[in-house]
Amino acid sequence: MATAPATPAAAPAAAPAAAAVPASSVPRGQVDLVDFIDWTGVECLNQDPSHSIANALKQGYREDEGLYLASDSDEQLLIYIPFMQVIKLHSALFQGPEEEGPKTVKLFSNKEHMGFSNVNDYPPSDSVDLSSSHLVENKPVTLKYVKFQNVRSLTMFIEDNQSGGDITKIQKIALYGTTVDTTNMKDLKKIEEH
Amino acid sequence: MVLESTMICIDNSEWMRNGDYAPSRFQAQADAVNLICGAKTQSNPENTVGVMTMAGKGVRVLVTPTSDLGKILACMHGLEVGAEANLAAAIQVAQLALKHRQNKRQQQRIIVFIGSPVKYDKKVLETIGKKLKKNNVALDVVDFGETDDEKPEKLEALISAVNSSDSSHIVHVPPGENALSDVLISTPIFTGEEGGSGFAASAAAAAATGATGYDFGVDPNVDPELALALRLSMEEERARQEAIAKKAAEESSGETKDHASSSNSDSVMAEAEPASNASADDKRDLPKEDEDAQLLQQALAMSMDEGASGAAAVADAAMAEAGADDDELALALQMSVEDTQMSGQSDMTKVFEDRSFVTSILNSLPGVDPNDPSVKDLLASLNGQGEQEEKKDNSDKPNTPEDGKN
Repeated sequence: MATAPATPAAAPAAAPAAAAVPASSVPRGQVDLVDFIDWTGVECLNQDPSHSIANALKQGYREDEGLYLASDSDEQLLIYIPFMQVIKLHSALFQGPEEEGPKTVKLFSNKEHMGFSNVNDYPPSDSVDLSSSHLVENKPVTLKYVKFQNVRSLTMFIEDNQSGGDITKIQKIALYGTTVDTTNMKDLKKIEEH
Repeated sequence: MVLESTMICIDNSEWMRNGDYAPSRFQAQADAVNLICGAKTQSNPENTVGVMTMAGKGVRVLVTPTSDLGKILACMHGLEVGAEANLAAAIQVAQLALKHRQNKRQQQRIIVFIGSPVKYDKKVLETIGKKLKKNNVALDVVDFGETDDEKPEKLEALISAVNSSDSSHIVHVPPGENALSDVLISTPIFTGEEGGSGFAASAAAAAATGATGYDFGVDPNVDPELALALRLSMEEERARQEAIAKKAAEESSGETKDHASSSNSDSVMAEAEPASNASADDKRDLPKEDEDAQLLQQALAMSMDEGASGAAAVADAAMAEAGADDDELALALQMSVEDTQMSGQSDMTKVFEDRSFVTSILNSLPGVDPNDPSVKDLLASLNGQGEQEEKKDNSDKPNTPEDGKN
């Protein structure tokens, strides 16, 4: 847990903690935040209607290799993900084709209703440069943990893709972190049941 | 029930003074805008509509998106017509206005009315279109007025650049008899992608037009297919009946000649009467002429079959009714009667000399209006010879209006 944040997120191969767990890529001590996403509020601008954000973000769909999120009129994508409770974001995982996979990803925390016209108005909380190894292997990118301590919503701006083509494809997006509110009633119930 | 925020760009350029859309392009556009605002705000109570102008002293937002219909309608008054429309700037300003909508959950839509030529390049418009699509803004275009300079092509290109999942539409409205708003009401601009919002459109239309009844008792907006089927079937039936009527008229003119020499008989009249009664009852619901003409033909055919005498009297009754409803038929019958008159002059005059009998028959027929000028004319022409003496006869009957004129 303590090793990864020491190196800034931009360094692609320098994530020994993540590499150590190839099977389940969830970093130690973190959970997959997919259960805390407020699905009614999820938005994606410039998505191809036939390849929507659900293909990349939803459990089940994102594990399917054939389903992916694609951009429509150009290569950029703007994804807005609200959470049902406040979370701390530790790392993110992007999977996609080597050519059309995302390259530069800017993350903003708690910026509601952004448009393509104001992505440059605020400094991003973190900016990630993905390499093709990130996209193909199951390697999460560690983010600036301190910048994502109190996240109610996350906006991801995918600026360009690996090949510079007109269509960006993302097969899977996974977010790892912890919830701030430790008394999550949903989790408690689950433990009681088993 | 699409939750939507709409900006309507209206064209107030010099080209809108043209009167090819009654009463003028600008007024026709204003009516259509009012109707759209009504439909949008009714389809979802949280929907908002804004209005802006494209010409005059530059692009100007009159009302930012609001759900207050009064505000929207009020801003349409006292608009000045002048200068040229700036389509590209207008669309971008509209997008900006939509971006700052209060309820971010609303979908964004721009509706552009463009009656003036488009001076922009296709490329420029496509770039703007792509920008709209990227920002998830839908665009509807109402293309009317000028068609020069590849305007329709340019607008089509703009729409195809914006369109994703069929949410953007374009409507070309040529000048004609139909009002701009009437044409638009059945287009996807009003009905949206879902059938549900069609109700709102029809409700708005009903409110605007004063809610008169629909043809066949079916609202064409609610069930367009049924309405179309009904209309087609009615047209087919009309064509069929017309053909039958024509044929029957030809036949009757041939047959009356043969049966000409005869005296009148009440049984024939009795048979003709119920038929005309039925026709009168049906009148309210069904297209008058067709139904009446058909029944008339039936009555006529029945009397012929019977081989009865009194063809003249039948013809008279038939003519009286035909005169009220169908001029063509009346003419055909009159011709046939004239034939009869030639062959059996004495019998004819006998029948018509009994003027009180004829008028009583006329009054007893519910579908016949004795006041009808064509009926009068017919009677006058038939009774040309003996009308002087009959005048005295009929003057004591107040309910026979022929008297005065004869």
